[in-house]
Amino acid sequence: MERRTFLKLTALSAGALALTQGGPAKARKTPWYAQEVRTVYQICEGCFWRCGIRAHAVGNRVYKVEGYAENPKSRGRLCPRGQGAPQTTYDPDRLKRPLIRLEGTERGEGKYRVATWEEALDYVAEKMLAIRERYGPEAMAFFGHGTGDFWFVDYLPAAWGSPNAAKPSVSICTAPREVAAQWIFGRPIGGHEPIDWENARYIVLIGHHIGEDTHNTQLQDFALALKRGARLVVVDPRFSTAAAKAHLWLPIKPGTDTALLLAWIHVLIYEDLYDKDYVARYTVGFEELKAHVKGFTPEWAEKETEIPAETIRRVAREMAAHKPRAVLPPGRHTVWYGDDTYRMMALYYVNVLLGNYGRPGGFYIAQSPYLEKYPTPPLPLEPAAGGCAGPSGGDHEPEGFRPRADKGRFFARTTAIQELIEPMLTGKPYPIRGLIAYGINLFHSIPNVPRTKEALKGLDLYVTIDVLPQEHVMWADVILPEATYLERYDDLVAVAHKTPFLQLRVPAHEPLFDTKPGWWIARELGLRLGLEAYFPWKTIEEYLDTRLQSIGLDLETMKSMGTLVQKGKPWLEDWEKEGRLPFGTPSGKIELYCQAFKAAGHQPLPVYTPPEEPPPGHYRLLYGRSPVHTFARTQNNWVLMEMDPENEVWIHREEAQKLGLKNGDYAYLINQDGVKEGPVRVKATERIRKDCVYLVHGFGHKAPLMRVAHGRGASDSYLQTRYRLDPISGGAGLRVNFVRLEKAERPHLPALSSLARRPLEERRM
Amino acid sequence: MPRYAMAIDLSLCVGCAACAVACKMENEVPPGVHRLWIRERELGVFPDLTVEFRPEQCLHCANPPCVPVCPTGASYQTKDGLVLVDPGKCIACGACVAACPYDARYLHPGGYVDKCTFCAHRLEKGGVPACVETCPTGCRAFGDLDDPESPVAKALKEAGRVDVLRPELGTQPKLFYLNAPSKKGLSQEREVRHD
Amino acid sequence: MTEFYGLPNAGEFWHWTNALHFVLVGLAGGVALLAAYLHLKRHEEARRYTLWALALIALDLFVLWAESPARFRFTHVWLFLSFHPQSPIGWGAWGLALSFLTGGLLFLGKGPQRALAWAFLLFSLVALAYPGMALAVNLNRPLWNALLAGLFPLTALVLALALAALLGSPWAREPLRLFAGASLLLTALYPLTLAPEARGHLLEEGGFPFLLFLLLGLGAFQERLGPWMGLLSAAGLRALLVLVGQWQGFGL
Ligand SMILES: Nc1nc2c(c(=O)[nH]1)N[C@H]1C(S)=C(S)[C@@H](COP(=O)(O)OP(=O)(O)OC[C@H]3O[C@@H](n4cnc5c(=O)[nH]c(N)nc54)[C@H](O)[C@@H]3O)O[C@H]1N2
Ligand SMILES: Nc1nc2c(c(=O)[nH]1)N[C@H]1C(S)=C(S)[C@@H](COP(=O)(O)OP(=O)(O)OC[C@H]3O[C@@H](n4cnc5c(=O)[nH]c(N)nc54)[C@H](O)[C@@H]3O)O[C@H]1N2
Ligand code: SF4
Ligand code: SF4
Ligand code: SF4
Ligand code: SF4
Ligand code: SF4
Ligand SMILES: [Mo]
Repeated sequence: MERRTFLKLTALSAGALALTQGGPAKARKTPWYAQEVRTVYQICEGCFWRCGIRAHAVGNRVYKVEGYAENPKSRGRLCPRGQGAPQTTYDPDRLKRPLIRLEGTERGEGKYRVATWEEALDYVAEKMLAIRERYGPEAMAFFGHGTGDFWFVDYLPAAWGSPNAAKPSVSICTAPREVAAQWIFGRPIGGHEPIDWENARYIVLIGHHIGEDTHNTQLQDFALALKRGARLVVVDPRFSTAAAKAHLWLPIKPGTDTALLLAWIHVLIYEDLYDKDYVARYTVGFEELKAHVKGFTPEWAEKETEIPAETIRRVAREMAAHKPRAVLPPGRHTVWYGDDTYRMMALYYVNVLLGNYGRPGGFYIAQSPYLEKYPTPPLPLEPAAGGCAGPSGGDHEPEGFRPRADKGRFFARTTAIQELIEPMLTGKPYPIRGLIAYGINLFHSIPNVPRTKEALKGLDLYVTIDVLPQEHVMWADVILPEATYLERYDDLVAVAHKTPFLQLRVPAHEPLFDTKPGWWIARELGLRLGLEAYFPWKTIEEYLDTRLQSIGLDLETMKSMGTLVQKGKPWLEDWEKEGRLPFGTPSGKIELYCQAFKAAGHQPLPVYTPPEEPPPGHYRLLYGRSPVHTFARTQNNWVLMEMDPENEVWIHREEAQKLGLKNGDYAYLINQDGVKEGPVRVKATERIRKDCVYLVHGFGHKAPLMRVAHGRGASDSYLQTRYRLDPISGGAGLRVNFVRLEKAERPHLPALSSLARRPLEERRM
Repeated sequence: MPRYAMAIDLSLCVGCAACAVACKMENEVPPGVHRLWIRERELGVFPDLTVEFRPEQCLHCANPPCVPVCPTGASYQTKDGLVLVDPGKCIACGACVAACPYDARYLHPGGYVDKCTFCAHRLEKGGVPACVETCPTGCRAFGDLDDPESPVAKALKEAGRVDVLRPELGTQPKLFYLNAPSKKGLSQEREVRHD
Repeated sequence: MTEFYGLPNAGEFWHWTNALHFVLVGLAGGVALLAAYLHLKRHEEARRYTLWALALIALDLFVLWAESPARFRFTHVWLFLSFHPQSPIGWGAWGLALSFLTGGLLFLGKGPQRALAWAFLLFSLVALAYPGMALAVNLNRPLWNALLAGLFPLTALVLALALAALLGSPWAREPLRLFAGASLLLTALYPLTLAPEARGHLLEEGGFPFLLFLLLGLGAFQERLGPWMGLLSAAGLRALLVLVGQWQGFGL
């Protein structure tokens, strides 16, 4: 019988009628979308890609975020981290009030008292001024990362007079690719890899695990390329997600990519497959390169890479057949083995030989959007931290200021963050006595954690500005809790892109608890440091409005559009029409032979150094991303943790068998220096070579107050007690650590779902 | 009346779970249960490998075994072919959970059975489901099967291969998997039992 | 190797409380059928067993309500505001309710006794039949095959007759042996009706208790402890099949 007819029959009695109206009891709370929803334009802070989003709030809670079509980063879509990121704002474990370390306790003990903002800021300013008095302004270091970092690593240090400002996103991430690009093309790669995916027909990924690396736009473009039939080759010791989409997977021996790239250059040149016109018109140094690669035959490379010479040849020929729509994207995290600038040089040279730089299907030429700074008096220093995009102006210092403590040894014009730790310990070249860390994870991002801890212990002042009680945060003298992205304005975000654009972050509701936005913290601190001349504005609205006026806009208008897209000049053609070339090199052309490197005592052409072999019984430790996590910042977000609650150590099935380990067992990882991590779940798999193991970065949290994250998985960072410095870029090669496995018991941890159900007010601090 | 359906192109899906997280947020799905999850399966031996990423959720079967077994009419099929649960009538007896061959249903802590609704509340406003909207690879297509211009109809037409889960049960799912990476079609649990 | 981002809802959805209901409803339905039969036979113990049936039905309904996650939402009224002929649970709800009604009237001696007795018989048959049907309709769960539609009513009768024997009704002994024998036969055949995979799962997950309950069932023919053995065996088998049978098979 039909449900409805029967209902009519049975609904005769008045009681039953009443029941049909509303149901026996209100079964379900009204969903958020059926309530009064307020929507603002926002910028995702799930990672540093910073997609434009719209946030939907009911009262003091954002329930859902979405991309929007007009924003070139999100284009209406978001990655998993972006979707889940709002939970961090409603995390009961978040930092809620300013904290000052209890008198008489050591850094690292984690004992704090609640303070007022006045008190906390006065404390910081007083100590900073004392440090300046005694050692000079450069004795204060400023580390930071994230959308609000402008205030803390660019503006404040430059106003204060310290060149020791740094981000992890250069020397522990992009430095080699930026330096190589800067000296070959005279242009950086920038924060958004300028690859024309949609027109590429043949794509070769070196590492670069797109799909696990879920930078939103890039993932969208990658899929678009596949959809349009691009062929894909993936070079990776591990069968990554990208490899699962590839037509060809080359399980290369780790650390030998430069050999492979040199062999490709060899084949392209010696089989006469390269784009001769392009090389003739746009490059210098071809003959030197040609002579250099003469001996780097595929047969030579086979011995190094364990990829058959025939395959190497075949891929080179296929690339050439698709030129200029064949491309080798640069990857992002390029600090691998300490000789990474050479690898990136070789990678760019393959691209150049394919004639794809500045051409559809290859690299487009990204440009920054036009926008004026807020008119303040000139800053004494130029910011030294830079973005991901390599050079900022800060490689020379005016009269009366000391040079960066990383000694200006490197070609990256931005500071090598890990090289600022040593001066804290040794006082050489001069002492660094204080540190402000804004949104950077000192123990999960910077290798050699024991050294970092030692350095922190000796400082006169250590301040953190963060949103979570991360382990390194709970070492600080003063903890300044920032309002999360959903609760604050930030400076305008200007993105260099095919179509350059500006985007705006508008708070969706008031900051919860006693938290403050970064701009407010920076300004209040500035006022206390005697830098009031550099903070002439009173509110962020005034600041933003003034900047927007410079391009004929105002804040209210921008609030109603979120993103402003400008026109770019992506192709060589566009530049040639204006009678010039985009290359900012000394020769004005693409340099296939780098004089500057030679002058500094490096090689002008890419050289290959075989990697150190693992000691017996050890495996090389590789690492990468989980699609649902960002570094070490999302592991306390239960929505994301439910999707991927712990990292696993990937090991080849047969190796695991030899060690008596089954899939799902637990093991400790012990590195060459005896550091023990875990227990971590074993993933015994066919998807990795036998000479290495793999871990997703960001797990293994030791911070007791991060209740969800605590004790799940193992930290790659703790196992990276050594790194190999890339002497050209200042990058810290992290894949030079080795581990062995030891069987462990499964850890007993509280269920995620019970942790997830805790009330927001649970913890007072 | 539209006949709503979804198609997921497995040759593009990277198993990133953006869809699953979007669903969780959009529908306030409580901790510990899921309307949408991703099965990731490794097939083959080094170096001849395949990985299938297969998102799963309610398939809105045209012949849904979960509906007739419901004693109260809480589980029902709409005219648009959506299979929905009315929490106001559900007694949480579990008959529908037992009947669903795809483990698509769960007991909501509110005391009723819940599952994917194809985001009916978004469809009402002319939108698409949250999981479809967000999918970064664009591998999810949604729309009216009877409209040849709808994204789902187009995707089905262009697909090299179309599979549904457990076709032998005659449930007539309206969630289609396109271009499964294995030549044999959708992978099965028994294929990976060796560990 | 299979991994997940998020979890499918593949866990057990019917727990021990539900298994208890499957035992109780068998007992209640069986005793109700017995009582109806005794009424039709105008047996002197008819009223006594009607009272037992009423109590057991009430107990079962209480257990059902108490274990229901929806117990305070009172959605259960919808069971009786609608009827869905393809839903075994719907039949069960009506069967139990009407058994209770007819049994109650019989007990009170109100209404047309003969017709009520026939109705009681009919409704108790429904209550007896529905649990097996509720499992057997799930074509997707390989352990819940059509054989259960026969096995569950049989074990229900074993439960009822064993109870009667224990309550000192000597006439229950003979039919108890008969039905115990029949249900043992089906139980022994049961693994043979399964696909190899399903059989493997049954043996892996519940092989030992299955064998134990089978052996206990043989004990039903024993003189002294027979009724106890029959009761335990039938109850155990029902619970076991409910719990282990939730397996989906290697389908997905
Ligand atoms: N979901 C998610 N996405 C992210 C991030 C995140 O935190 N979460 N972070 C973003 C940031 S800032 C960065 S820098 C990027 C990093 O992401 P990518 O730039 O893609 O990083 P890679 O180091 O190139 O890629 C790691 C891969 O390199 C492989 N590999 C290891 N050693 C070698 C080797 O010697 N040779 C070769 N060919 N491959 C090797 C590993 O097996 C792994 O698959 O991800 C970005 N995207
Ligand atoms: N071992 C190892 N080290 C690595 C990498 C690796 O793969 N393995 N990857 C490297 C790469 S590529 C990069 S780019 C870097 C990234 O390095 P980081 O940027 O340091 O990485 P996160 O772990 O995201 O740390 C961000 C910090 O900011 C805090 N935070 C989050 N949101 C906010 C906010 O809104 N305001 C404030 N004030 N703080 C906030 C978080 O709680 C966390 O403490 O790490 C590098 N280091
Ligand atoms: S890539 Fe993902 S996490 Fe990063 S900003 Fe975009 S949506 Fe947010
Ligand atoms: S969002 Fe898209 S690509 Fe990611 S898992 Fe879901 S369907 Fe696959
Ligand atoms: S997938 Fe399951 S819940 Fe969804 S319609 Fe089909 S049988 Fe019903
Ligand atoms: S659990 Fe709810 S929806 Fe499912 S069959 Fe029972 S009453 Fe119907
Ligand atoms: S259609 Fe809506 S409810 Fe269904 S899985 Fe997608 S987001 Fe979740
Ligand atoms: Mo990075």
